[in-house]
Amino acid sequence: MDTEVTSRRRFLVAAIAGSGAIASGLNLTLIRSASAWAEAPADAPTDTTRTLARMVRLYYPHDSVPDDVYVQTVDSILSAAASDVQLQELLDGAYVALDAVGAGRFADLDTAAQLSAMTKLQDEGFFTAIKFQVLGRFYAHPEVWKAINYPGSSVEHGGYVDRGFSDIDWLPERGR
Amino acid sequence: MSQQFKLNDASVVVVIGSGAGGGTVANELAQKGIDVVCLEAGKRLALADVVNDPGLMMQKLGWNDTRRGTPIYTCKTVGGTTMRWSGITPRFQTHEFKALSTYGEMPDTTLIDWPITLEELEPYYDKAEDKMGVTGTHGIPPSAETNNYKLLKAAAKKLGYKEYTSTRTAINSVARDGRAACRQIGFCHSGCAIGAKWSTLYTEVPKAESTGHFELRTEAMAVKVNHDDNGKVTGVVYADNDGNLHEQKARAVCVAGNVMETTRLLHNSASNLFSDGLANSSGQLGRNYTRHMMFSTLAIMPGEVNFHRGTRQSGLLFDEQYHMPDRGFNGGYLIETVATDPVTVAAIVGGWGESAAEYLDNYTRLGGLWVTGEDPPQASNRITFDESERDQIGLSVPTLHYTFHDNSMAMFEHGKKQCEALLASMSGQKPVTTLDVGGGCHNMGVARMSANKNDGVTNRWGQTHDIANLFVTDGSLFSTSAAGNPTLTIVALAIRQADHIADRMKRREL
Repeated sequence: MDTEVTSRRRFLVAAIAGSGAIASGLNLTLIRSASAWAEAPADAPTDTTRTLARMVRLYYPHDSVPDDVYVQTVDSILSAAASDVQLQELLDGAYVALDAVGAGRFADLDTAAQLSAMTKLQDEGFFTAIKFQVLGRFYAHPEVWKAINYPGSSVEHGGYVDRGFSDIDWLPERGR
Repeated sequence: MSQQFKLNDASVVVVIGSGAGGGTVANELAQKGIDVVCLEAGKRLALADVVNDPGLMMQKLGWNDTRRGTPIYTCKTVGGTTMRWSGITPRFQTHEFKALSTYGEMPDTTLIDWPITLEELEPYYDKAEDKMGVTGTHGIPPSAETNNYKLLKAAAKKLGYKEYTSTRTAINSVARDGRAACRQIGFCHSGCAIGAKWSTLYTEVPKAESTGHFELRTEAMAVKVNHDDNGKVTGVVYADNDGNLHEQKARAVCVAGNVMETTRLLHNSASNLFSDGLANSSGQLGRNYTRHMMFSTLAIMPGEVNFHRGTRQSGLLFDEQYHMPDRGFNGGYLIETVATDPVTVAAIVGGWGESAAEYLDNYTRLGGLWVTGEDPPQASNRITFDESERDQIGLSVPTLHYTFHDNSMAMFEHGKKQCEALLASMSGQKPVTTLDVGGGCHNMGVARMSANKNDGVTNRWGQTHDIANLFVTDGSLFSTSAAGNPTLTIVALAIRQADHIADRMKRREL
């Protein structure tokens, strides 16, 4: 079980990163035939999952955020879609549109071509709707907070009354 | 010690809602020895239930039933939206009570003057400020200056603005009235975990209970107001948590459910005598909805601001609040500071890709401003009901129809320029200004007070024009929106209404 989870994660991470070796269809076939694939789970990322993974990354690309956070964001959206027909339809529509707008299947394009495809579709309703699905999860993740120096809950630390709520030091005039 | 009243006790005043309007009028009446039953649709939380998690608290506090149309943010919990507000408490200005006289007829608006003046409301503003502990008034020490406020202050000075302050918030600067001093926790919109911010949950409600003249019934959703053949209201039907219906008899009823629920309750109380909804002979119920022209401006500053440290909103700039028609629009706006969590920042910033991510990478260096400005009422901005769609308790689902007036858009363009100039004056980069941030938090006008009974639903006391013992006690009363945050004015009007009801009862007119 652990192996399956780990494997799925590894593939998703690769998909998110857009690393050519795994994200390209051709290489996937090669890997599939190699012995390394034996440990891959039956539910290795489908093309659509790889598409969503790349979208999530390209919506909010932070070098400082661990890949695992992107994986969890993808998993969380897919899990929500499993019991939300409207969300699943939204995603399905996006996959079709993204595959149609570029020079090939979205998941197989290079990063520049993927960005170009997303830019072409950025005024479509689904684009913003999915973006909100992403941002509500991604920017609520403690690992993202750590990366952008947002500490989250403060009440257990007594708030900021003794911890810098009034310590701004670069303004031209201080005090009144 | 909470009192318990019988359902058939027709001597009680029934108050619907326990927020700024309902909680206040209920306590004021109880303090005068008048028996009150308060019906609250939500649960009663304890301070220990309040955590620094906006998403979770939105589930706990928010009114999350199905609604259509333009989004609106209200609360279903004891305390109502006083659990979710920022505590900013400016008074309205003289001219704002005379919108029609001051601005003249404006196309596509339903402007009227308030049937009361600032002068009449001033003694009640005094009482409201004292009750709520508004800093900088009544000898209450000023609020401390947060980083974000210091940024606003420095920028305001640079641009030649004259009137700005970190005070005027109903958040304790020192321990007062049994409540703690602010510890600059932040998350003010998720409930205050230490009770430093005024909320009726831990002020008006327990104070009313201690009189022995008040009973709070929670998870009691009012569904219909009944009346007799003479057209006087006689009781309120409510659904308990199991969906069972009860009727609490009443001598008088005060409705304070925020605009959606106040409108829906009166609409659903239609009868042979009141075919278009209770107290709606004018046809104005649910119309003239206003919500303020609101927007937010963020910029990336050259140094750390850390606006998450401290109160969510921590200062105001008044210079633009006046009516100065040379600016190309009627009425004015207030500039305030705002700090939000990363999810909200991402939503406000909009966009996607490198530029959006860069904004969040600079989270600790963001400066944040927010504006609330006068929004003229329009007949088409209204609440309607889809009788074919029912919610979980079988009530018709409300739809809010809302568009900004041209005047509000002209005000937005002006305010955007000023807010971006403020942050630029302190070397802020890449300003982002987003319209309607916070839209649906300030809800007004749908049962407005009017001198002429054809123009609104209520008179100068918030008493409905049609029914002597039926009152409205929330922001629905506002004849026009004015510019400033509405809670102080809701509380002042509720205190004034309680005096009026008590007086009428003494004279045996109610």
